[in-house]
Amino acid sequence: MIDEQMAVFIGSGLRLAVPIIFAATGEMLSERAGVLNLSLDGMMLMSAFTAALASWATGSPLIGVAAGVLVATAVAGAQAVLSVTLRANQLVVGIGFNILALGSTTFLYREIFGPLSRDPIPGFAQLNLPWLAHIPVIGSALANQTGLAYVSILMVVVTWLILKYTSFGLAVRAVGEDPRAADKAGISVARTRYLGVLYAGILAGLGGAFMSVADSNTFTENMTKGAGYLAITAVIFGGWNPWYTLAACLLFGFATALQFLVPALQLDVPVALLLLLPYLLALVAIAGFVGKSRQPSALTIPFERGG
Amino acid sequence: MALLELSGLTKRFGAFIALDDISLLIERGEVHCLLGENGAGKSTLCNLVFGVHRPDGGTMTLGGEPFDPRGPAEALQRGVVMVHQHFSLVPTMSVAENLMLGRASAVLKPQDIMVRMEQLAAEYGLEIDPEARIDELSVGERQRVEIIKCLLGDPQLLVLDEPTAVLQPDEIDALLAICRQVALRGKSVILVTHKLGEISRVADRTTVLRQGRIIETVAMDGADIRSLVRSMVGRDVQSAGSVLAAAVDVEGKTPAKPSDAAGPVSPGEAVLQISDLVYRDPHGVPRLDGLSLTVGTGEIVGIAGVEGNGQTELGLILAGLASPSAGAIVVGGTPVAGCTPQEITDAGVGIVPEDRHAVACIRELSVAENLFLGAIGKFSRFGLLDKSARRKAAEAMMRDFDVRASSPDVSMASLSGGNQQKAVLARELSLDPLVFLLAAQPTRGLDVGAIEAVYNRIRAARDDGLGVLLISSELEELMAVSDRIAVIYRGKLVGELAAGSFSREAIGAMMSGHAHV
Repeated sequence: MIDEQMAVFIGSGLRLAVPIIFAATGEMLSERAGVLNLSLDGMMLMSAFTAALASWATGSPLIGVAAGVLVATAVAGAQAVLSVTLRANQLVVGIGFNILALGSTTFLYREIFGPLSRDPIPGFAQLNLPWLAHIPVIGSALANQTGLAYVSILMVVVTWLILKYTSFGLAVRAVGEDPRAADKAGISVARTRYLGVLYAGILAGLGGAFMSVADSNTFTENMTKGAGYLAITAVIFGGWNPWYTLAACLLFGFATALQFLVPALQLDVPVALLLLLPYLLALVAIAGFVGKSRQPSALTIPFERGG
Repeated sequence: MALLELSGLTKRFGAFIALDDISLLIERGEVHCLLGENGAGKSTLCNLVFGVHRPDGGTMTLGGEPFDPRGPAEALQRGVVMVHQHFSLVPTMSVAENLMLGRASAVLKPQDIMVRMEQLAAEYGLEIDPEARIDELSVGERQRVEIIKCLLGDPQLLVLDEPTAVLQPDEIDALLAICRQVALRGKSVILVTHKLGEISRVADRTTVLRQGRIIETVAMDGADIRSLVRSMVGRDVQSAGSVLAAAVDVEGKTPAKPSDAAGPVSPGEAVLQISDLVYRDPHGVPRLDGLSLTVGTGEIVGIAGVEGNGQTELGLILAGLASPSAGAIVVGGTPVAGCTPQEITDAGVGIVPEDRHAVACIRELSVAENLFLGAIGKFSRFGLLDKSARRKAAEAMMRDFDVRASSPDVSMASLSGGNQQKAVLARELSLDPLVFLLAAQPTRGLDVGAIEAVYNRIRAARDDGLGVLLISSELEELMAVSDRIAVIYRGKLVGELAAGSFSREAIGAMMSGHAHV
């Protein structure tokens, strides 16, 4: 009985962590290049909506994901133009995009889905990998996930490899720490930052699409519920390191999943309080860790070539 | 055939002519030194060759081919490399990572870099741990990394902009040896410096720049160091007074008389006493190294020195913007070392800071607000600001100090540099109590009329019994205004001259660390 509940808890914790893992991993790379995308939540929400719409219209969740990623990347492109080329304040731009995303998806959802909101959206099935299922306790939790969940872990590995072993990754780190030095070494600061922001957009898109077509098979208004902000927090909590960031995302996922476990264990804790937990955790994490971990020196600072 | 040929190069920044018709040949295998005072155009020249700036006129050829780099990347492609005054290394990354930065290949290959580093170590003695993080290295080691970075691609021309300014003596020896090694291998080196000792040890030829023009190019075989100093500081200019007079005359105003350059000196009791002042910057580099100085009442003491020898730090410490590592500062009996700016002001110190825009005033606020920045309480009644009283006081002050603005309510930014500085002087000289004034580069960027006004104010303050410390990079200015000139070199005072015995040659030599030319 307990085992079963633990398996459900772990399974839902992982599932809830996946969108945050996607978004945080992309955001981490972008921040290493010096651009903070506060618009991450907006990118996810736009992607979640677009994926739901495209999947519903075409019957293919794969096309849904592609469409979601496309839209999130377009938002990232706009964020990049504003914050890299036009050197606008990155925080203000990000907040603007988030308000726009919430407003536009809510409006379009009501316009398009209004009468159909009960219809399920074609989504991905769980993979049920048998070789994972044999692991005791956590086996079924690991095995019963959609393909995208495994992709999220793969993206952490890929991002880690990019940062550590490629010239692009080196350029990203240099541009985020000391753009002037990188510029003098012949690196295009603008190009590197654009690619970083677009990378964040693609991954945020995957995370958003996961929510609507892989996790819940539906779209609801403001369905991200601040997952993008949690992802940004996870990056700080993880000290801009891919693995620690992953750990922070899992922590947030499990904290969210407590809302299922605690009632199942018949503990008398109000669910509303449990819903608060991940956000409270994020605040505590920021308060406790911001001072200690060192952020990229040029984070949020636009680059301008000087003499 | 010469490697690099410059003909008729001109560079303007706004109305300021940084380089005027520069023609110069750099031969293969030579170490060519560029000598000149601050603002002579040495760095601008380097930046043109490296493509950081583009010339407004003239042409360059490199190896016989036209050379017009649109950016550093193009200069690098043609085999021109540069070590900048400010290092361009990413502090949080390792040596190897910095060396790999910007080199094509999708996947990093640290092994290749290690092999090349070993070659360079064998060839030039440039050894360094590839795994070390830049911010753990000393300044000299960082510079070694910069030079390795430059030599990785086997360049034709190595440009070094004031590379020795930040180095310890043994590090300087090593650097000069590397320059000779590079030249021996048929590459050319352009070395910017203002230190004569280095030139005589390393240069094949030296070009002296002054005010954007080439004064002379001399082969170092049998060259006379004295004549180089004279070319550098400009012997044809006899005294600061006449420079000023000439310039003022052009504008049709009354020339200042050279005779009021240095008034009668009768310094009273000490008003400022600095003893054994030590300051280390955040990297642990000593910027002030046991500096001691006394300024008496009714005396103007000038601090001469090549920029970067500690005078900026001295100014910051006196203003309370930096805390000394050791040593004491006493103003009129009150110890002020490490005190807050407010405490220093209360001790009777007026400050005209070096960086007018960043420190002295708030450009967005009005002139009146700036004039009473530190004395807002004076016009406050029951917690409310009495603006009309402040306006009246500001108008009176602007009249007294000839601050020209249409009204006290216009923003500080709308004033000319000269009027801004007069406003700053007005504020600082109206402090009560006031026993000592620090004026750091008080005429930087000002026109001649404003310069004269600033000088007159400083002299008047002296005559009123204030002690004045004048920090300036302009020798003319120091000689025109000071009663005494102390020369700072590497964070210490290395010599002192009294009015009447000022000699451009002697000061210039002390500034270059050559105490006995």
